Amino acid sequence: MFRRLLLTLATLGLTTLGLATGLAQAQTKPTLTVYTYGSFAGKYGPGKTVKERFEATCGCELAWVTAEDAGSLLGRLRLEGANTKADVVVGLDMNLMAEAKSLDLFSPHGVDGKDLALPITWTDSTFIPFDWGYYAFVYDANKLAHPPRSLKELVDDPNGPKVILQDPRTSAPGLGFLLWMQKVYGDQAGEAWGKLKPRIVTFTKGWSEAYGLFMKGEADMVMSYTTSPAYHVIAEKKDNYKAAAFSEGHYLHVELAGMTRTTKQPDLAKTFMTFILSEPFQSAMPEGNWMMPAKTPASGLPEAFKSLAQPDKALLFTPEEVQQNRRAFTDAWLNATAR
Amino acid sequence: MVLTLPHPGSLVAFAILGLVAGGFIALATVDGGTPALLSIGPYLGRVLAFSVIQALLSTLLSLVLGIGLALALARRRFPGRDVVLAILGTTMVMPTIVAVFAVFAVYGRSGWIAEGLAFLGWTEGFSIFGYPGILIAHVFLNGPFVARITLDGLNQVPAEHWRLAGALGFTPAQIFRHLDWPVLRAELPGVAGLIFLMCFKSFAIVLALGGGPSRSTLEVAIFEALKIDLDFGRVAWLALIQLAICLSMTALLHWAFTRPPVGHTIRSLVHRPDAKNGRLKVLDAVVLTVSALFIGPLAFSVLTGFRTLLAVIDADLLRAFVTSLTIASAAAILACLLAYALASAARRRRIVLRSPRMAAFYDILPDALLAVPPFALTAGLFLLIRRLGDPSTAGFILLPLINGLAAVPFAYRYVAPHLLTTEERYGRVAASLGLTGWSKLTIMDWPVLKKPLAAGFALAMALSFGDFGIIALFGGTELVTLPYLLYERLGAYRLDEASSIGLVIVLFAILLAHVSGRLSHAGD
Repeated sequence: MFRRLLLTLATLGLTTLGLATGLAQAQTKPTLTVYTYGSFAGKYGPGKTVKERFEATCGCELAWVTAEDAGSLLGRLRLEGANTKADVVVGLDMNLMAEAKSLDLFSPHGVDGKDLALPITWTDSTFIPFDWGYYAFVYDANKLAHPPRSLKELVDDPNGPKVILQDPRTSAPGLGFLLWMQKVYGDQAGEAWGKLKPRIVTFTKGWSEAYGLFMKGEADMVMSYTTSPAYHVIAEKKDNYKAAAFSEGHYLHVELAGMTRTTKQPDLAKTFMTFILSEPFQSAMPEGNWMMPAKTPASGLPEAFKSLAQPDKALLFTPEEVQQNRRAFTDAWLNATAR
Repeated sequence: MVLTLPHPGSLVAFAILGLVAGGFIALATVDGGTPALLSIGPYLGRVLAFSVIQALLSTLLSLVLGIGLALALARRRFPGRDVVLAILGTTMVMPTIVAVFAVFAVYGRSGWIAEGLAFLGWTEGFSIFGYPGILIAHVFLNGPFVARITLDGLNQVPAEHWRLAGALGFTPAQIFRHLDWPVLRAELPGVAGLIFLMCFKSFAIVLALGGGPSRSTLEVAIFEALKIDLDFGRVAWLALIQLAICLSMTALLHWAFTRPPVGHTIRSLVHRPDAKNGRLKVLDAVVLTVSALFIGPLAFSVLTGFRTLLAVIDADLLRAFVTSLTIASAAAILACLLAYALASAARRRRIVLRSPRMAAFYDILPDALLAVPPFALTAGLFLLIRRLGDPSTAGFILLPLINGLAAVPFAYRYVAPHLLTTEERYGRVAASLGLTGWSKLTIMDWPVLKKPLAAGFALAMALSFGDFGIIALFGGTELVTLPYLLYERLGAYRLDEASSIGLVIVLFAILLAHVSGRLSHAGD
């Protein structure tokens, strides 16, 4: 028995070793290492398509390295510092942009950011947007016939729909909605939170828990994106999920890519940055990442994306404003909701 | 005075302390500065108070359910008992998101109970957010584990004691007083400490079921500081606060409940004389029914993943399975080795050197590992590795290491009591024969230890298998574990596939728990 155990242990050890060395084998072509978040490079994400299309032209290999979400990506970059293997990072967002810049890891992209399909003009020289969407409440039209038509209506109606939100301290859409409330209510945001509070079912750790709970029928609406209904139309052939259009405008969510200054292959990284805004990459965004492409592909948008809620106005704080005020906004939110 | 080599257990203890301290220092000094002391504002104060209260309540309820269930199971034999035991060992290793969805499937607004009530004409509805939801989830995860551990302990009572109890005609109350209670007293501090730590650190469950940011834990603040503020000094400081609270709590438990000496004979499974008592029959029936009604639906709801189970089996899933298996095996080996080294050091201090205080230090050390926030330790160790070499390999080292360290307290629970028992039974014989070191391990310890060690191994493996902690930071296309895959699919709107992957994890954990149960319940 004892000898058998030792043997098993040895086998397991060798397996681990084999796994590690197998991965470390040298490759002949240059490899571009791109950091992104999990679902981007996952089975249903656009990662595989993007890799195939880029490798078809670059004479290189593209290796995705993933962290769970945008926050984890930034945390990992912060930990790795100048030793990072990342040549390019795909998947940060505007609310993390100022923090990302303060890491002093990114170099100017030099890509032409004109003619983008974004509702704002893009001038930043460090990051380029690769897709975008508006935050929005998603609801099931079969269950909620008359969704609120404005944020104020949602906040003021004591018999209004119940909502699931994400915690702004741990989740990007959570922070997005906090900023949205702040944009609409300004100094009165605390009172507005107080009014909305009885109808907030819960604040979850991340988007996944919130959306899962909504799909299981725990609330009437969930904080998500205007583009979410397109998933249900295209992948599930269901058209009862809608995003509620609010008259004050919607908070904008822009996803960003940047190249590191530490990259050993700046030319290849630059080629990829240009590739990001090109047709092959952009056309993979709508049905891969379920977001609006930063540059509308020549082939146009899928049908389901054309009928999505179109907010009249994009609400947005600059990344610097977010960095300066996030702590104060979060504290005010805590004061209003944590009683 | 003869200079001797330190005991391997002491070396391990030093290594662990060094590793943790190194991680903290690296984290606190990453920007070259000294960390500013963080004031505990009113919010953090409230969070701490809430964390302590919910963790205490969760622990208390888990202990009540677990001990009641263990006593009932010890007295009763029924068909399917093995399956029940395997399920008991499984709930704790569920990925938290699976547990959260299970609670909603049963108790949620559109859950089974609400639908049942609506069918009966009751449409008022009820809300489980706040304490009810958190406690349901925590007791569901931890109560069955308490039952498993306690049942193992109850099976340790030597056969002679039972024969004596039978001969003396003990009443059920006397049986409890003289046979069961000493076991419970010995197991209680360790188990209660573990459950308290797990609940104190609970994160996704508390956020999802708490219903608002007033229901939050320190881990949320640590997470925020690490992933959004990027303020590592703050991370280190918050982690220290958590460590201090958890350690005082476990130390208090160890101080309050001292371990009684064990019997000197070999145990064997017996038929308990109190099984025939009429009142106990009623009590056990009630306990078993209540437990079945509580645990059954929640466990059963996980099975909804069956519908799409076949559809998720693909190359990605198999690769993730192998990766999870590899990491979990490495972590479990590490956990068992460390637990053995620490437990044998504790044994030496307690019995050979007669210094129970130092022994208590070794007993508490594994709990300290559980109290260290994994994110903070990972970040700290990563900063150390970064200085030494290639950071891209860090994940391969850190995943098994951190998972292994987190599993040490669980493996320790299995290993330490048995190791003490061997020393109390055979220690003097072994000493008179001059058995030391390797030969003592193979000849004296191994025969008694192999089953609990295997049980600890299986549990450690299952824990690591379902873990979605630091993989969030260091996963990657080359390091995709099953829980990572689960979150990836959730992030791509594939809720059904995610529940199937959750089911795969749970099924594998049941298998491990079953093996572990067979090993730890079988007679010597």
